[in-house]
Amino acid sequence: MFNKTLLSCVLLTFCASAFAVDVPVTGSVESRCVVTQDTVGVYGNPAPETLTTAPASGGVHPVVRYDVIQASYYMARITHPESFSDSPVLTDTVTWAGSTSTDQVSDANMSAYDTNKVEYDNVTEVDLTVAGSTWFKVESSADYGVDKAFPGGTYQALVVAECIAI
Amino acid sequence: MFIRYFMILMMLGGSGAVWSHDFTPTYPKLEQSYIEGVLKASMKLFNKRKDVRYYEVSVYDNEWNKIPFAMLGEKVMNLEYLETKYFDVFIQEKSRNKATYICTKTKLLVTDKTKAMLDSRICSKIK
Repeated sequence: MFNKTLLSCVLLTFCASAFAVDVPVTGSVESRCVVTQDTVGVYGNPAPETLTTAPASGGVHPVVRYDVIQASYYMARITHPESFSDSPVLTDTVTWAGSTSTDQVSDANMSAYDTNKVEYDNVTEVDLTVAGSTWFKVESSADYGVDKAFPGGTYQALVVAECIAI
Repeated sequence: MFIRYFMILMMLGGSGAVWSHDFTPTYPKLEQSYIEGVLKASMKLFNKRKDVRYYEVSVYDNEWNKIPFAMLGEKVMNLEYLETKYFDVFIQEKSRNKATYICTKTKLLVTDKTKAMLDSRICSKIK
């Protein structure tokens, strides 16, 4: 009886050691930029002639997140809309306004992005000089004619978020 | 330093709730292809945007003028959600010094909601 138990124990130990295999998990860290749509923007229509992403007017500011693994490898270039990509037929001019600013940062040093950013036309450029995540908030509004009501229908505008290796 | 990289990796890995566009390597190298006089750069594109199924590849010089290039498939490629695609960009050897950026840009489909959509473009710089 004792011998049988001993034999069983030895066999079990042997079996256990036979199946204890190391399974390697490998990965690599390389410089990269990931552009993420964090919040989908929505135009509110507080007045007949206005479409705006301002939350106070029923809109939602689109938020785009940039993740960079290594500092100073990429530049963020964000373009706020100056035309509709899809809309009903508009017979009058649309006056556009917009801006881009940091919304949240994963590193306190990124607070310099708002002071160091370069703005021209409807474009904002920021050198991503700190590794980590930055959330950029894009504000956009459109006014139609002179106090003219936007025709009913669906309106779409594009925010272009670019990440360019420098 | 390691902790910072770890945190970033965790953030990248844990960003499943949001939609992102990922294009690597940052600095691709042009190598000789199997065709004489044609160089190639090997790229990787990962689609983590649920709202995007098509990406367009383009090549530019340092003043953002388009440079002619070729690919084995279409230049507007279909990429399903969470799909990774490896592809080669072929550039003529005479364009070697001009070609600066290889970019992928989302191609958005029209939807029926009034909203500001995000068009993302990531550009790698040829070394």
